[in-house]
Parts: sequence; structure tokens; C-alpha cells
Amino acid sequence: MTAIDTAIRAAAAEIDLIGVTKSYDAKNTIIPPIDVTLRRGEFTVVLGPSGCGKSTLLQMIAGLERVSGGKIVIGGREVQDLEPKHRGCAMVFQNYALYPHMTVAENMAYSLKVAGVSKAERAERVATVAKMLGLADFLTRKPGQLSGGQRQRVAIGRAIIREPGVLLFDEPLSNLDAQLRHDMRVELAELHRRIGATSVFVTHDQVEAMTLADRILILNKGHIEQFDTPKAIYHHPASVFVAKFIGSPPMNILQVEGDGSVLRLADGQAVANYAGKGKFQLGIRPEDIAVNEGGSIKTEIRYREDLGSHEILETKTAEQNLRIAMPFGVEIDTTQTLSLSFPQARLHLFEGESGRAIANAFGDAQPASVKEYQ
Amino acid sequence: MVENARSINIAASILLAIGILYIVGPLYLTLSTASQSYEYMLRNGLAWVPGTELFANMGKVIHDTRIPIQMLNSMIVAFSNALATCILSFLSAYAIVYFRIRWAGVAFALILATIMLPLDIRVITTYQVASNIFSPLNAVLDFTGLNSLIEMMFGAPIQLELSVLDTHFGLIAPLVAHGTGTFLFRQFFLTLPKDLFKAARMDGAGPLRFLIDILLPLARTSFASLFVLTFLSGWTQYLWPLVGASTPDMQTAVVGLARLVPDADGQVPDFPMIMAGAVLVSLVPLTMIALLQRFLVQGLVLSEK
Repeated sequence: MTAIDTAIRAAAAEIDLIGVTKSYDAKNTIIPPIDVTLRRGEFTVVLGPSGCGKSTLLQMIAGLERVSGGKIVIGGREVQDLEPKHRGCAMVFQNYALYPHMTVAENMAYSLKVAGVSKAERAERVATVAKMLGLADFLTRKPGQLSGGQRQRVAIGRAIIREPGVLLFDEPLSNLDAQLRHDMRVELAELHRRIGATSVFVTHDQVEAMTLADRILILNKGHIEQFDTPKAIYHHPASVFVAKFIGSPPMNILQVEGDGSVLRLADGQAVANYAGKGKFQLGIRPEDIAVNEGGSIKTEIRYREDLGSHEILETKTAEQNLRIAMPFGVEIDTTQTLSLSFPQARLHLFEGESGRAIANAFGDAQPASVKEYQ
Repeated sequence: MVENARSINIAASILLAIGILYIVGPLYLTLSTASQSYEYMLRNGLAWVPGTELFANMGKVIHDTRIPIQMLNSMIVAFSNALATCILSFLSAYAIVYFRIRWAGVAFALILATIMLPLDIRVITTYQVASNIFSPLNAVLDFTGLNSLIEMMFGAPIQLELSVLDTHFGLIAPLVAHGTGTFLFRQFFLTLPKDLFKAARMDGAGPLRFLIDILLPLARTSFASLFVLTFLSGWTQYLWPLVGASTPDMQTAVVGLARLVPDADGQVPDFPMIMAGAVLVSLVPLTMIALLQRFLVQGLVLSEK
């Protein structure tokens, strides 16, 4: 462990958002009051569709956007009225935002130069960070002469060289191609394990969120839908929105009606036992559906997608779409009507109107792995 | 390539040759006349044959006319105009692109409007203002009735007067107010990554540091091309220097050249000397183009790769 690792680990700060809200004018509220604590040294991924306010939230933490109300506390200090440079945050941008006329070394050292750090110390710290990120051979190059992945590493180097209390990432991987994105994801995860900086990572990519995050904050129209570990979010989505957002292909949501003992589809088929009356939304992941094991639910196959490792069947039951993930090698007659069963332990129940999850609707539905984890 | 036919090639070549003749002919006539003596011209008219008197004629221009001091005036006007235009355009474009200003769009539209209202159109009003730069203020005071109020309270209305005619400032200032530069810089700034400004802020650089450390080095070529273009247009300005300066020692070289033709009827102008003067006066922009044509082209293209 080098000096900079320990310095960043030591500088890592907790972030408290207390009633933080943002609106550009009186009518449109981008972010209604949010209260959340991002723990020291934790890697938080803020996930949501575009326009949900996740970038705005990040920029408010950074100080690039003013808060309309509430407090931001970083490391015990109220910072909502401070300039970005006094907040101890560093940021990695989506399009890198490197200074095109400066060399890699100058890019990384610029913040130190502005802060009045001596030339000798600047060179030393650039050398340390460059070595850590594998950029030692590129220090005299300009950003235009680097590949996308190298540029992204320079942007990360520029952020960590100041030993910030908080590292902010604004969709940093979305400009890279698929292979590079995967590699950079691994690199980021390794880096975080090394330096342990409090990190906030904004993305709309669920894979990035699931793989990188200690905890995922899911935003929908500025509201926090759920803030939990990736596993908990996958296995216990707090709402229909989360259930549909996480997982590929996403969870099936069926509109069902309860008669007090059984949940039925619109065509009268019983799908699960539940002692509730009224409209509900029933969720089941495509990979959790059991096919042809004496199941009683009938569905018609409309289309099949062969993805090599597994197959996705697009089916229709009671006028509702139902996706089924089949392991490779299972022979299915596509002309026939499938009979399915939904394992009770894998079902998720949501309220019909609000879409909020109903906890423990089918008894203790936690898979074994989650129990262990918690 | 339209068609690779021989006849078209020939036609195109002829057309090109005519064009070249059209452009180079007068230039040649200027040079050849400048190299003949006054007597030769009196006998033969404009000279098509080069003579040997070029340097003698140039010497005459330098010693007998006010062209040298007028060239100095041109230099001051063109240089200051170019510099002031560059700085003003750079700053105004910076404000428009990087800051959330109310009415930024309106301000930009007004700046662009100056392109559609060149100095030649508003030369009379510009002259009025230059003859008393407080006249707009006086007019506003009169129009709003403030002046009659002041007259009631203090006994006399405010009537300020300051003329900038016949000064270098008066020659330069009206040329500076032009929107092309702002437009050029705006277009250039818009091609830069949007997050650059934010990144600089995160690095602790305020707006001024961002301007000097990041934007200025990046805009170097745009700056240079705008400088060259404005310098050339300032050097060749005719109408405004003609109106704005009335004493020979304040006039610019281009105006001075025209004044070399005597006003009195019946006297044949000393065309060889005038042509030699024209050659002299053209040398400065010519050198400029030769040295900085790279920037000139970039400026005309308006944006960088």
C-alpha cells in the first residue's frame, strides 16, 4: 500500500444529504426533499432512467449546482454553500473533460497547480498516481493521442491526485465500447478496494450498478425508490419500478386479482395462494419460472430468442406478456401451449395502485443466499 | 469531377486564364506604372512596360508626401482595432456561452445585428456620436424629461460635449463594435466539451483562471485568425477614416493615397508616384497575408476540426 492509498483512505468522508431538494423554477421540482446517508468509504451507485435527477444530485454534492433547499454535510462539515474546491470532492466526467492542450502530467497536476503546490511535489505525486494507474509511459502525451480507456484513467488520476474525501463519477463508462467498459469496471472495482474512497457513481446501466456498488440508490423522478445492497435490491425489490429496472430480462409483472384466498389472472387462472382481496401486481423473474413440471398455468409461445447460454421465450398468458428464461438444451415444442408453475418462494407481490412491495406476502421468501448475506 | 472531357478542360482553362488576367492585370499595371517617371507617363499614358524609376518614386512618396505618418496611423488603427476586437469578442463570447445569463439570447442577437448593420450604413449617426460622444446621453436626458427637471432645480440642463473626431480613438472605436468575432469565438467554444468548465471548477480554477489557463490556449488559432482578418479590414478601411479624420496627419494611408490625386482641374496626377505609394501601402497587409495565411484560412473556415 502506497502513501497515496492510505492518504485517500484517511480522507474518505461520510456524506449526509438532509432534506436536499432542487427545482429550477417554482413549478417543476427535479428532486423533492431527499434524506440519505452515504457511509464513509462506501461505493454508492445512483441508478435510474435518464431524467430521474441522478446527475443533478451528483452535481449538487460536487457543488456544480446549487441546492434549492436542505443541507449537504460532507465529513461533518456543512458544504452546500461552498465552492466545489472547498468541498473535498473530485469528479470523473462522462466525456473525460480532459484539457486538450495539456499533457497527461499537466492534466493530472492542474488542480495541485491551482492550489499552489510546489513543482517538485507535483511531479512526485503525478509519478505516484501514474504508476498506480499504469500511465507512467504516457505522461508527456496529449489526451488526443490516447485511447478511450487511457483517457478515462487520466481522468481518474486527475480526480484522485488531490486525495479527495469523496470521488464522484458521472456515467464515466458510457462512452466506452462494451469490452473496454467491462475492463474499466474491473479496474474501478480494484481501485476502490485499494483506496477505499467514498464514491458516488451515477449510471443508468444496471450491470455497472450491480457489479460495482456496495449499495445502490435507485432514483425515479427524484424520489428514492430503494437504497440497499445489490443482492437485496435484486431479491427484494421495494416496488414495481425497481423490479422492472433490475434484471435482464426484467421481472415479469402480472396484473392479478385476489378473492381472499387465491390470486387469479384476468382469465380466471389461479397463479398463487394469497389471503388478500382486490387488485395486485405479481412479479416473477423469467429465470424463476418452472416449465412443464405439472404446472397449471397455461401460456402460449409467441417468439423465442436463442442467446447461446440460454433461451428467452416470449409468451402470452391472459393477454399479458410473460418472459421465460430457459436453460440451454431444454427442448421445447414451440407450437404447443406451455404449462407453468410459479414457485411460491420466488414470487413478489406489489400493491395494485402504488406498486409498493408487500413484504413477506408468501411467507419467508428469502432465497438461502440472501439470508447468509444479511 | 464533373466530366473528364478535353473540350471542357480547355474551356475551363481559358476561363481561368481570363480570371487571372482580370486580377493580375491591374496589379501589373500598378507595378509597371510605379516604375516609370512622371515625364514618361505624360508622354505615353499608363505604362505597360516596366521602367527603372520604382525606388525613386517610392523615395518621392516617403519624402514629399504624408504617406509615412499616415501609414503609422493605419498601423495604430489596424493593430488596436484587431487587438480590441479580439479581446472584446473573446470576453463577450465567454460570457454568452459559459454563464447562465438572463437575456443571453437577446444579447447575442443584438451582437449579430451589428453584422447586418455595417459601419457604411450608419456612417452619419456614427459621425454624430463621434463628434460628441455624450450626444446619446444628452438625447436620453432630453427625451425622458429629466433635463427639464434638472433645469428647474439647478438652472441649466445637462449638455455634455466631447468630440473624438480626429483622434486615434475616434478612428478605432466604431470599427471595434462588430459581431463577427463574437460569433467566431462562440462557435469555437461550442465545439469544446461541455464538462470542461465543470472539470476546471472541480480542480479549483475560478472563471478567470479557466479563461486564462484553459480557454485562451485552446482558442489560440481562432484568436490569431480573427486578429489577421480584423487587421486587414482595419488597414483597408476607407469610408470611416475619410469621415472621422480631417487633418492629413490623422488620416490613414488608404485615405492619404486617394488624396494624392490633386483636387485642381487640369493638372495631370503624378500616377507613377501614386502607384508607388499604393505598392508601399499594400506591402504591410501583403506581408501579413504571406506570413499568417494559415490562420487566415482557418478563420474563414470559422471552426476548427
